[in-house]
Amino acid sequence: MRVLVVDDEPQIRRALRTSLEAHGYEVLAVATGEEGVVGAAEQRPDLVLLDLGLPDLDGTEVIRRIRGFSEVPVIVLSVRESQSDKVAALDAGADDYVTKPFGMEELLARTRAALRRVGGDEPAQPTLVFGDLEIDLPRRLVTREDEALHLTPTEYSLLEALVTNPGKLLTHQWLLRRVWGQGYGTETTYLRTYVRALRRKLGDDASAPALIVTEPGVGYRWIGESG
Amino acid sequence: MIDGHEPTRWGRLSLRGLTSGLLATLLATSLALLSEDLGPASGVAIFMLAVTITAVIGGLWGGLFAAVLASLILPVIEQPDFAIRFDEPRDIVAAVVFLAIAVVVGLVVGNAADERDRAARREREARLLAYLSSKLLSGDLPDRVLDDFVQALMEPFGLASCVVQVTLDGQVIEARAVAEDLSGGGPTEVVPVVTADIPLGTLVAERPFGQRPFVRDERFLLEASTRQAAVALDRARLEVRARLAQLDAETNQLRAAMFSSVTHDLRTPLASIKAGVTSLLDTGVHHDEAQQHELLTTVLEETDRLNRLVGNILDLARIRAGALIPRRVPTAIDEVAEAVVARLRPRLTLWQVKAELLLPPDLPEVPADPVQIDQVMTNLLENAARHSPSGGTVRLRVAREEGSIRVRVSDEGPGIPREEHEKVFEAFYRGKENPESSGSGLGLAISKAIVTAHGGRIWVEETTGGGTAVVFDIPLEEAVVL
Repeated sequence: MRVLVVDDEPQIRRALRTSLEAHGYEVLAVATGEEGVVGAAEQRPDLVLLDLGLPDLDGTEVIRRIRGFSEVPVIVLSVRESQSDKVAALDAGADDYVTKPFGMEELLARTRAALRRVGGDEPAQPTLVFGDLEIDLPRRLVTREDEALHLTPTEYSLLEALVTNPGKLLTHQWLLRRVWGQGYGTETTYLRTYVRALRRKLGDDASAPALIVTEPGVGYRWIGESG
Repeated sequence: MIDGHEPTRWGRLSLRGLTSGLLATLLATSLALLSEDLGPASGVAIFMLAVTITAVIGGLWGGLFAAVLASLILPVIEQPDFAIRFDEPRDIVAAVVFLAIAVVVGLVVGNAADERDRAARREREARLLAYLSSKLLSGDLPDRVLDDFVQALMEPFGLASCVVQVTLDGQVIEARAVAEDLSGGGPTEVVPVVTADIPLGTLVAERPFGQRPFVRDERFLLEASTRQAAVALDRARLEVRARLAQLDAETNQLRAAMFSSVTHDLRTPLASIKAGVTSLLDTGVHHDEAQQHELLTTVLEETDRLNRLVGNILDLARIRAGALIPRRVPTAIDEVAEAVVARLRPRLTLWQVKAELLLPPDLPEVPADPVQIDQVMTNLLENAARHSPSGGTVRLRVAREEGSIRVRVSDEGPGIPREEHEKVFEAFYRGKENPESSGSGLGLAISKAIVTAHGGRIWVEETTGGGTAVVFDIPLEEAVVL
C-alpha cells in the first residue's frame, strides 16, 4: 500500500512517514500542492493524505485536480479553524478529514477505512451485518434481531448511502444529492428528519451512537462495526 | 419653505407689494365710486383702509406704493367730472395731507408686517438649527450624523436632492437624501463643509427643476447649518477616536492578563511533555512497559491540554478582532447536543462522570452556526464535568422558550458564589476557591462571545442541589447584533 503525504511542514512529514512505515505502508512525501498533483498522477498511490493549508495551491483545488484523473481516496488534514474549508474539501471530493493535531491511532483508523472502501481487502458483500442489524442490499431488506424493519424508500436510500460508505464522512450536500437527487443540496431539514427517523428504527442513540455519528454542520458518518 | 426676503430692514418693493397695492387701490376706487353719496370723508377712509391692508400684505414698500397711488386717485374721483384739478389750494392740501397720513400708516403697518415676517423666518431658522444641533450632537457615528443632516435640510429648503461628501481620517463618507416625488435639475447651491479652517468636503443642495433660486438668506442658513454639521462631525470623529483609545487600553490590560496567564498555562503542559519525553529518550535508565505507558499517557494528556488552550487563545483573539461572525444556517440544537455528548462520552467516562441528556420532541430549528454552538456546549459540558465530583452527573437540557431555544448545563459540583456569577464570563477569570483549576479561564468568555454574537444571552444559575447551571438562550428569529 502506497500513501502520498502532501504537507509543507517537514516535522509532520517526518512523523507521518515514521508512523506509516512502521505500519507497513510505503510513503511518498511532498511539500507543495503542485508536487502533490504530479505525485498522484505519476506514482499512482493507494491513498493521499493532504494538508489543506499549502503555500502554493488551495487544498480544494488540489483535490479537484486529482479528481480530474483519479478516484484515489483523499484524506484531508486540517486545523480546527477552517470548518468551512473542510466542508468545501469534502464537497470537492475528499473522502474524509482529520483535524490537526491528530492522534496516529485515529489517522490510521481513517486510512484503513478509506482503503477498505475502495475494495482493497474486502469483496463487496451482498448482505451487510452490523451486530444484530442485517442489510440485504440486492433485496433491499433490513432486519433487526431477525425482525424485518419497515423503512420508507427514502429511509432505505439514506441507509444504503451510509452503509456503502462505511467510516466516510458524508456531507449534507452529498447525501441530499445522492438520496433526493441532483436538484437538492441545502435542504438539511429533510435530511435531519430522515436521519432521526432512521436512527429510531435502527435503535441507535445519537448521544451514544453505535451506527450513525453526527458531525454538526458537516454531515453524518456510518460507524457500524461489520460482523 | 423659508421666505426669500433679504435681511435688510428696508427691503425693496416686492411683486407681492406691487400687486396687492394695485389691487387694493383699484378695489378702493370702485368702492369709493359706488358709495359716492357717502361724502368725501368716507372716500378717504376707504383709501386709508386700502393702504393699511396693502402694508399688512405687501410690507412697507407695498404700503407706500398704495399711498402714492391713492393720493393720486383720490383728488380725481372727488371731482364730479373726474377731471384732474389741482388749481384749488384746498385740494392740494387735502391730497398732501392724505399722502402724509397714508405714508405714516404705510410705514408703521408695513414695518410691523416686515418685522412679523422676519420674526417668523427667524423662528423657522432657529427651529431648523435647534433641530440640527440636537440631532447632530447626539453622539452618533459620523455617517449617521450626515444621514440625519441631509434629511433635515430637505423639507425646509424645498430640495429635490441633497448630497454631502466628506473625508474623515482618510475615509470618504457620503450621505444622500432624495425627494422621491421631485425631479432635480433646478437651482443648485454648493456649500463647503469646513471645521476649524480644515475643509472636510462639500454639500450640494439641489432644488426641483423650475424652482426659484436660492436667495441670500437661504444661503446664509444653509452655510450655518453646514457649519453645525461640520462641528458635529468633528465631535463624532473625536468620539470614535476616544472609543478606539479606550478599546486599546482594554486590549492592553487584557494582553497583560493574557501574558501572565498564558505563560503559566503554556509552560506547565510543555514542562510535563518535555520531562516525559526526555526520560523516555534517556538511554541510561530502563523503564518497564508500565512506566513507559504512564509517561506517554502524560505526554498525550498534556498535549491535548495544550491544544485546547491554544485553540481557546486563538478563539479569544478572533473575538477581540471582531472576526467571530456566526455562519448561520437552520440548526437543530438538539442534534448538536447529541453529537457533543456522544463526542465527550469517552472523556466523561474517564473522569467518572455520567452524562444525562434531556431533549423534548419536535424542537424547532434556529438560525445558528452549528460549529459555534457545538463549541459552546462542549465548553459548558467540559466545565461541568471538571467541577463534578467523581460519580456525579452532568445534565444537558434543551427546551423551547418564548421566542428562543434554551440550553441548560448543570453539574453537582460545589457551586459558584453568587458574587462571582457575572465574573466567570470574563477572560482569564478563575474561581477564588480553585485558582489553579485545569481550565484556561477562557471557555466561558468564548461561550459568552458566541452566544452574544447569536443575539442570545448566557448566565449562571444555582441548582437545587447546590451545584451550578450555565444557561443560554438562542433566539428563534435571527436578531440583528451590533
